[in-house]
Amino acid sequence: MADNKGNIEDPDVSRRRFFTLMGLGVGWGSIVTALGGAGLGAARYMIPSVLYEPPTVFKIGKPENYGIGVDTKLKKERQIWVVRNERGIYVMVAICRHLGCTPNFFQDQSLFRCPCHGSIYDTHGNVVGGPAPRTLWRAAISLDPVDGEIVVSFNTRQDPDPVGTPEGLMVEEAGREVEPYFLKV
Amino acid sequence: MLKLLEQIRGIVNKTQVFKSIFRHGYPDTDGNRALVMFSNVILHLHPVRVQRGALKIKFTWCLGGLTFFFFIMLAITGVVLMFYYVPDTRRAYNDIRDLGTVIYFGSLFRAVHRWSAHAMVFSVWMHMTRVFMTGSYKPPREFNWVVGVILLVTTLVLSWTGYLLPWDQLALWAVTVGSKMAEATPFIGASGPFGPELGRNSGNDMAFALLGGTVVGQSALLRFYVLHCLALPLITALFIAVHFWRIRKDGFSGPL
Repeated sequence: MADNKGNIEDPDVSRRRFFTLMGLGVGWGSIVTALGGAGLGAARYMIPSVLYEPPTVFKIGKPENYGIGVDTKLKKERQIWVVRNERGIYVMVAICRHLGCTPNFFQDQSLFRCPCHGSIYDTHGNVVGGPAPRTLWRAAISLDPVDGEIVVSFNTRQDPDPVGTPEGLMVEEAGREVEPYFLKV
Repeated sequence: MLKLLEQIRGIVNKTQVFKSIFRHGYPDTDGNRALVMFSNVILHLHPVRVQRGALKIKFTWCLGGLTFFFFIMLAITGVVLMFYYVPDTRRAYNDIRDLGTVIYFGSLFRAVHRWSAHAMVFSVWMHMTRVFMTGSYKPPREFNWVVGVILLVTTLVLSWTGYLLPWDQLALWAVTVGSKMAEATPFIGASGPFGPELGRNSGNDMAFALLGGTVVGQSALLRFYVLHCLALPLITALFIAVHFWRIRKDGFSGPL
């Protein structure tokens, strides 16, 4: 290495080969950069920034509009049931925990029955029959400090681990009637 | 470093996957070049043997290839735009506005689509002018000239149908004018020569068939959308295949 001063020839890489490799590198590098950039742009394009969907936080009127029992009038519009018991109000999400169909409420039996695969829930959301592996979701609710209406946060949901009993999959009711999933009104 | 690359190349070249894709090795002999052309779906569009003069840039200006490139660009960006555009008179204009303002790279894809469309119309005309000037339409290539004229028409109709989709004032009145022209066409238009004599009226003429009604409204928008995104691109792609096949069979013409 000491006496190759002034010798720029590398026996391994000729000048022609060097420029060929450089040209190939620049060429393919440009193509990969351009296609990669376009691909990343297209990927970002596929993630919308504005959604035209129903709001996930909405008002459902004042607590005194809801009497004792299950109120089904918002099932179609908002996919929820509003339930009042002796202690207060909670809101259940009308989505079956088996495969996502909408169960129907039967007033005479006080049961929710799913038409798709026959899951059965009681008015607490506990599973009393069928293939459902979890209890019904309850959505977070609060009172609007200005007009006193109930505000439902559809995507904030209570999902406790159920306990298997001879009656089905059960959750202790006292543990469920807590803020923000229960209003003592 | 180079030795390592050579080693990797040697290993990759011997794998079953590589050999199943690249069957004939590096095309460094005449025979091997011909085989590579024959066995590659893209390269086989090109004739195996061409005259030296036919490949001069000053002879073809690559105009047919450019037109095909714009068609590919339009197909890709068009599919991308279809993810956000709904051909509904109540939301079409807002969807176009959203592409420009709230969707990342939406204005880029729309601009590439729009400019490629303008460029394709331009390059088709230039391609035809070149073919005319160099006399390349003469036998045995006269059939391919006819296919080319069909492709010119589908290009123009694609451009025109795409014009309506933004559903703005420009779109509405351009298509109003276009449908009036269809109405004034001889024999098939209600107000064209021999139209009324043949029983054409505003309920059964060419403009009615085009618009799916008597005004530029919802049914016209849907018709133009289906024509623009499905029917015309398929027809165009079919005739492009025939066009290329004829080039492949007839060979390139040389300079006069």
